[in-house]
Parts: sequence; structure tokens; C-alpha cells
Amino acid sequence: MVDPRKTPLYDMQVKMGGKIVNFEDWMMPVKFEGVIEEHKWTRQHAGIFDISHMTEFMVEGPDAVPLLKTLMTNSVGIGDFKAQYNHMCYPDGGVIDDLYIYREREDKVRIIANAQTLETDGKDFNWIKDHIGDFDATITDLSLDRARLAFQGPETMKLLNPITKADITQIKRFNWIYTEVTPSPTSPTSQETIPIFLSRTGYTGEDDFSPALGSFEISCDNKHAEALYQTFLDTGAKPIGLGARDSLRLECCYALYGHELNAGITTIEAGLGWVVKEKEGTKFIGQEVILKQKVEGAPRVSVGLNLLDKGILREGYKIFKDGEEIGYVTSGTFAPTLEKTVGLAIITPEHRAVGTELDVQIRKKMKKAVIVKTPFYTRGRNI
Amino acid sequence: MDNPTDLKYLATHEWVRIDTDVATVGVTDHAQDQLGEIVFAELPDVGDSFSQGDDMCNIESSKAVGEVHAPVSGEVIEVNETLEDEPEKINSEPYTGGYLLKIKMSNPNEVDSLLDAAAYQATLG
Repeated sequence: MVDPRKTPLYDMQVKMGGKIVNFEDWMMPVKFEGVIEEHKWTRQHAGIFDISHMTEFMVEGPDAVPLLKTLMTNSVGIGDFKAQYNHMCYPDGGVIDDLYIYREREDKVRIIANAQTLETDGKDFNWIKDHIGDFDATITDLSLDRARLAFQGPETMKLLNPITKADITQIKRFNWIYTEVTPSPTSPTSQETIPIFLSRTGYTGEDDFSPALGSFEISCDNKHAEALYQTFLDTGAKPIGLGARDSLRLECCYALYGHELNAGITTIEAGLGWVVKEKEGTKFIGQEVILKQKVEGAPRVSVGLNLLDKGILREGYKIFKDGEEIGYVTSGTFAPTLEKTVGLAIITPEHRAVGTELDVQIRKKMKKAVIVKTPFYTRGRNI
Repeated sequence: MDNPTDLKYLATHEWVRIDTDVATVGVTDHAQDQLGEIVFAELPDVGDSFSQGDDMCNIESSKAVGEVHAPVSGEVIEVNETLEDEPEKINSEPYTGGYLLKIKMSNPNEVDSLLDAAAYQATLG
């Protein structure tokens, strides 16, 4: 058996008291002070997330964009230094992974995608590589050479801007830059500056398009990972574990691969039709099924649930309407900002209307839930 | 937090305080620490009966569900209703205000099968 992997920040996180768990065969902190506390801190202040377990690739060559257009559901037709959320799908429309593409030039596009287990290691990389064919393009796996961090929360601009060379308040949402960070005096480096990739994107919902309230995702060379992490923490932002990362994304109804998305769920069934764009002159893999579902409707739909009875929704719980099984919960949690039990579910479309009451089987008991509008949380506006 | 020496324990991380034929039941400091912040306690109803070792109820944290086993056989005569609004008491006061319920024991001899504080501590390695 191969041991689970560790990110370049593992030792620091252990020293800081992170409670380490195995997530997708990565030894990662699930929490530092506490999931709920970290969740609320991120909503009110700012938090630093180690997301180095995720994967990072560079697609280069004159055909980088044409290649990606055949694999990605979204337009891919973005300008330089823009980011775009995408799905890669199998021919039957099932999702291989959800990811971001970051175009640097027409012939250079970065990809940041989900972590893989030891068993699925190389899934996205090989899928892209195996479809290069006659395209004049190459793909390089940067995953293990680089560390990835997220700096999220309403105080991010205030804390991060003073230590970046660029004025990051000028970066619009879904844009990115290369810049440099001045390391803090306590950070373990002799470098005068740390070069970073900095993207105004995130998985917490803490961004409202205004210059003052932006959150970022960052990647840097492994050798600077500890110094960058320490520098970020020295701004006053707190380290946040995977537990709060999950509850923060769930309040915003962001899909998590392996739960809302998988090889057996299409982009349309997951309620992400906006990620699908027909592209002139190019078909993407899975297009036939996905476009048909987008027009005619999918056999299942994704909905948001609020549990009316006491309890917690968990993945896999069965959902019933008038005694008939109609679907299951894909993710659930106690939502700290809302102080409600919420969840996402995949059900048959006829019962999808907001306000529909359903039964969720929790162990031996049936509990009442109601379909609610999604997302559950939008910055400054709750359900 | 030390495990109080006046309590008995199960290797599955429940504690019991014996007061003649009534057993007060809770989960140990180790259990609450492993689960993380408790957000919901699904307690049985007063009047429910359990045999020793049965799944009696569940406590849920933001990340996991913890099963609580009946340390002794008997009938539930009281549940800690303050946990409905303050389940986090299981975290902050696992041996006092965060107790789960009280059981009227049907077989007090079962107490002999429980661990003392030192034996329970030894199971934690």
C-alpha cells in the first residue's frame, strides 16, 4: 500500500495544531480551531486554505485553445489573463472533472482541477494528453511542483493588497495576473520577493464584484510554499481546514466533484447548464447528450433542500415524495451562517418546484424537508 | 480533560455514572474531540428500552455521525433536553451539562462489564 500524500504545508499545519485527516489520499487539515468558527471567520474576516492537493497543468502550443475547445463544455473563448469555469465530460455526458482554465496567451493555458486519489491519479492529465492527436499542443503536469493556496473572505483585499507588488484591487473577478509577494520577516525565506500566480476566483462565495471585496486563489513554486503560507498568516488571516471549505462551498451551492458531479451525473443534471456553450466549428466530447438535455430537460435535476425537522442531511440519504423514492442527497451540512440544515440533492424533475415538501429517510425515520431557492447564501443576502 | 475516576466507560467512548439503579450516560471527552463541533443530538424518546450494546442514538458533528451505544440495558427515563438547542454542550461539558440521557437499569450486574477510567484511558493508546 502506498502512503497518503502530503502537501508542502503539511509540517507547518501539524505544528499549528491542524487536525489531519485522509482526504482523497492526501493528509490534510480538516480543522484548526473548529469548523464552525473557521467558517464564520472566513465569512467575516479572511482565511487561508491549503489547496495544494488540487492538480495544475499547463497546455501549450499553437493549438492549445482549439484542443481545449474539443474537451471543455464552456466557450474557452476568453481573453488573455481571464479565467473560466469548465467541465470535461465523457461521451455520455457524465462529468470527468470540473476545473478552471486560465488563458495566458492563445498558445498557453493553465488548468487547475480537482485532487485525485492514488487510484485516479492522472485522470484529467491523461484524458487531455490522450486527446491531443493531431493538435499541435503539449500538456505538462505542474501539480507536484507547485503549491496552491486560497485567500478568501471580505478582508482579503485589505490584508493581501499591501504585500503584493501589483495593486490587486484593479483585478476584476475571473481575471488573473502574475505578481510578487513581499515575504513577512518571520517567514522562512531569504527571497526578497515570491513570484505568484494570482486569480480572483474562489470557492467560498466571498466576492461581490466590487474592488474592495475580492477573494483570490494563488499558486507558487513549491520551494516558496512555506514562506508564502507564513506571510499570508502573518497578515492576520487565519488558517482554515477542509471542513469549513466544504461548509462554505455548500452554503453557496458550489458543486463538489464526487458528490454533485461524477461520471454518472451530467453537467445538466447537476444544474450547471450555464457551463455549456455551443462552439462554432467545434464539438466537445459529450456535446450531443448535454445539448439534448439542455434543450429537452434531463432525467434528473439538482435541487437545494432545507430540512424542516431536526437533524442533519448527509450524502446518500434517500428522498421520497408520497412514499415513492425520487432521488438522494448529494451533500448536506449544518450551515453555520444560516443556522439551518441544508443540502443538495438530485431528484426526478417533476418534484423540483421551490416550496415542494419531501421526505428524507434519515436512518429509520422519515424527516420533512422543503425545496428552497439556491444558492442558500449569497454575500449579504441569506435564505 | 481527564476522564473522571468516579465514572465507568465503554471502549466505544461512552461514559456512565451509576446512582443505585439509574445510569446517566454521555460520551467521553475523547469522543467529542474526535467528532468535532456537535451540531445535532438525535436522542431516543423517554420510555424507549435498549439492551446493552444497542445503537441507542446518534450525535452529529459538522463532518460526521457518531453512534452512541447503550452501556447498560434498561429504559430511558430522561433525556437531556437542553441539547436540543445547545448540542455544543457535548463538546464543552462532556461529563456534566453535556450528558445525553438517564436509563433505569434492568440488569445492574452489567456494570461489572464496564471499564474504569484507567482501563478506558489504556484503550486510547
